[in-house]
Amino acid sequence: MIRVLLADDHAIVLEGLRALLDGEPDITVAGWTTDGTEVVKLVQQHKPDVVVLDLELTTIKGTEVLAALRDRPTPPKVLVLTAYNDGESLRSALDAGADGLALKTESPQQTLTAIRQVHAGQLVFPQAARRWIEGRSAGAPGDLTPREREVWKLVAGGLTNPQIAERLGLSDNTVKFHVQHLFSKLGVKNRTEAALKYAHGARRGAPP
Amino acid sequence: MTEYRDAEARAASRRLLATSERELQRIVLDMHDGPVQDIFAALSQLQVLERALAADPPTQQRSRQAVRLLERALGEIRNFIGAFRPPGFERRALGEIIEGLAVQHETLTEQGVELDLPDDLGDCALPTKIAIYRILQEALANGHRHSGASEQRVIVEREGGSLTLTVSDRGRGFNPERVLASEEGVGVEGGHFGLRGIQDRVEMLGGAFALESAPGRGTSLTVTLPAE
Repeated sequence: MIRVLLADDHAIVLEGLRALLDGEPDITVAGWTTDGTEVVKLVQQHKPDVVVLDLELTTIKGTEVLAALRDRPTPPKVLVLTAYNDGESLRSALDAGADGLALKTESPQQTLTAIRQVHAGQLVFPQAARRWIEGRSAGAPGDLTPREREVWKLVAGGLTNPQIAERLGLSDNTVKFHVQHLFSKLGVKNRTEAALKYAHGARRGAPP
Repeated sequence: MTEYRDAEARAASRRLLATSERELQRIVLDMHDGPVQDIFAALSQLQVLERALAADPPTQQRSRQAVRLLERALGEIRNFIGAFRPPGFERRALGEIIEGLAVQHETLTEQGVELDLPDDLGDCALPTKIAIYRILQEALANGHRHSGASEQRVIVEREGGSLTLTVSDRGRGFNPERVLASEEGVGVEGGHFGLRGIQDRVEMLGGAFALESAPGRGTSLTVTLPAE
């Protein structure tokens, strides 16, 4: 069961989403609020897996809420829900450390899909936003970039993303992107598999 | 005396630019706070209804049709909002604003934007920033509508006190003289290519404008503006 908390200034949106999510077999709505200042308290109380958060809140800045959630010992995944499909929203959501972005100008079905994706650990942003996360030059597809090798080594060493971020002086989101790419290039599903593959390569005398 | 008048007129047009940006912002915020929220909420409810109607296919079909209509309306608003919300001109430096526009263009159109920005681009005066943003927006939209190219290239350079923006593609090109002439006196409707709008913005800030294109030869638009 994915436990979801909804935070949006617009009561009608909350009501619609609640109705929609309640009908899904794998999702349950743990709480909701139209008041941005309540979000952190409600998260503490209900411990949701995913928070669906409107960035344009009136009582408090959505990015402040996001920062407060990120600071929690076990931060929930945060899916930003916004009406703006522009560079500005994307950038704010990424900078504040969101796990994904869903649009109110797309079908609510897309929001459902995005909730499941961020819950599964994916970063849900349009392809075009990658230029902000990976820098301007990308390595050849299929090959690991030097940065990805570095990240791989640390993943294999058992470090968490925030630890890797600190070690390499990168943001959490950047590390997450590297890890995602690394996994897809290595064809592994999780950190354990990535670590095993690293150890395997090292044993064969060909350390990556 | 004329110099003084010129300066005064230029200051007035700069203020006008900022005012029109504020007006746009207000319209976009109204759209966001009203229709978008309502339609999104209505769609959520309708999708619940649609599931409940599984036993009644003809009625379910009608509800599905309503869903499609609302999704189309949302899509139209999406294109409008995406194109017109002014970015955080006061909060973000020039480079970030240009990157934001490139990302937005790629997301909305799936046409690539190759961006060439110097690391030390720095920031510039607000009217110049607004002008560069709007000109780039218009140029990218033109390149998407008319060039047929899969990618556009954007270069921004700073030399001394001026900034130069170049937007180019290797698409089908056109005859610039003919298009510019056809946009003379288009009035409030604006021309098809919006080139007049670009020229007007450049003139207002005392910059320079150059357009190179020929059928089959691609297009390159270069605009130079004072940074401060």
